[in-house]
Amino acid sequence: MKLTIFLTALLHNGILFAQPVTIQLNPVFGKLPLELNKSYAYKNDSIQITVLKFYISGIEFFKDEKPVPVAIKKFHLVDLANKPSLVLKSLDKNKRSFNRIKLSVGVDSLTNVSGAHGNDLDPVNGMYWTWQSGYINLKLEGKTKICPSRNNEFIFHIGGYQYPNNSIQHINLNIIDKKSIVINIDIADLLKRVNLQELYHLMSPGAKAVEMAQQISGIFKTDL
Amino acid sequence: MKIKITLSIIIASLSFLSFNLKELSLNYPGYFPAPEYDLKNNPLDSNYIELGRKLFYDPILSADNSTSCASCHSPYNAFAHTDHSLSHGINNETGTRNAPALFNLAWQKQFMWDGAINNLDVQALAPISHPKEMGSSIKEVLYKLNTSPAYNTLFAKIYGENSITGERVLKALSQFQLSLVSANAKYDQVKQGKASFTTEEAIGYNLFLQNCNSCHTEPMFTNYKFANNGLTVDTSLNDFGRWMITKESADSLMFKTPSLRNLRYSYPYMHDGRFSTVQQVVDYYMRDIKKYKNLSPPLNTPIILSPVDKINLIAFLNTLNDEEFIRNTKYQYPK
Repeated sequence: MKLTIFLTALLHNGILFAQPVTIQLNPVFGKLPLELNKSYAYKNDSIQITVLKFYISGIEFFKDEKPVPVAIKKFHLVDLANKPSLVLKSLDKNKRSFNRIKLSVGVDSLTNVSGAHGNDLDPVNGMYWTWQSGYINLKLEGKTKICPSRNNEFIFHIGGYQYPNNSIQHINLNIIDKKSIVINIDIADLLKRVNLQELYHLMSPGAKAVEMAQQISGIFKTDL
Repeated sequence: MKIKITLSIIIASLSFLSFNLKELSLNYPGYFPAPEYDLKNNPLDSNYIELGRKLFYDPILSADNSTSCASCHSPYNAFAHTDHSLSHGINNETGTRNAPALFNLAWQKQFMWDGAINNLDVQALAPISHPKEMGSSIKEVLYKLNTSPAYNTLFAKIYGENSITGERVLKALSQFQLSLVSANAKYDQVKQGKASFTTEEAIGYNLFLQNCNSCHTEPMFTNYKFANNGLTVDTSLNDFGRWMITKESADSLMFKTPSLRNLRYSYPYMHDGRFSTVQQVVDYYMRDIKKYKNLSPPLNTPIILSPVDKINLIAFLNTLNDEEFIRNTKYQYPK
């Protein structure tokens, strides 16, 4: 009995089987898991999300305000159409503890001005503007009859790295000290603040993009 | 003794190895400033330059395989597009601007007439994607390159199997364009003490320093800034230049100051190609500048030139034409 408790404790602390830290990015629509092209109730009508893609970058871990080193990808592209991208694992398996995570939604300005990049930042991923330099930090597209646009579509491509229209968002979240961190991203929470009757196309940097980026930062939440 | 021989063999083979390394440095005269492009991020290498050159001349980059970079940036025109005031791309579509000459790009910080592009690496994305230029996308380009046996072999040789990425395509295009250094005009030979100006050219040089150098600053013959040079708006285009990017009224009708090197080959002039001769441009600066609120400050001082002055000034501007650059076979269509 005592041995079992001891072993369980060891397992729980990751001493016997060291594991990577896992960040699960979990897009939801209110209380429901978000799935592409599925209808959800929205403002007395229905809505479908067709594209959700965004960059997560600059992830840092803290224990009581002290930084905890964790080796993790610097830039990660989350694409709801590509399920494995919703899980981000640390590159090391060291035993650590932490209770706060900092991350950015988007790509920092230095990276934006330093030429072509590869992997998740490769412009082939469709997250780069071609007519004007700069990464698109987040793409949210969908359909609802509320939109008076062609095919009732709304298209939000949020980006911009230059002052005063820098749209990268820095998020600070308290977390439970566990190996697996779940971050819910509630699209319903964002869309209840947007008047889709009037605003349905946002595809360039500017004050409106910054405003939406700030609203987006508020929909990243942990259970705490 | 044996050890010594072995050592010297090792050293000899090592030096042979280093001789085979293809990393290059950017060659430019000592009076050029330091390049803006960060070569540490994309060190020059003759393999990458060759790959970039092949891509630059290949219409595979366009949607219908009709249009290459060289279609609007021809080596014989200092990589500009002559005969057309506005450049044209696929399906006989005409754009709204004159394709600029390409040389000394390592010194340039912002690209396009309005500075919309912040780094040479990402510049190519604009024409590749523009519906009136190449009408394609980097995704489609990668798909086509991946299905081309020739490119698969070429990339595999340089980077290994399955190595065609957007980053590599763009950086290879940068490498070729970075290699386009124009620094052997008569002006450069004079600077290096290898030639001397004629009397006309020397007088013209002084006139240039008095009237033009504040924006077209030597030795690059541009300050790489943006300016409203007083042109009237072509109402068929309504092109307000940098304002369309920044939405700042101070940037209205601001366009990139182009280099005055290689003017002989890169006509017509201005962002919309409205002038076809250097003479017309000089006449414009003497007579027709519109006094906008944000007119480039040096242009508030009238430029007054006698007919002889004009001839001398143009004689000097002709010393900026770099024939060797135009004829360099390394820059031309790959054999």
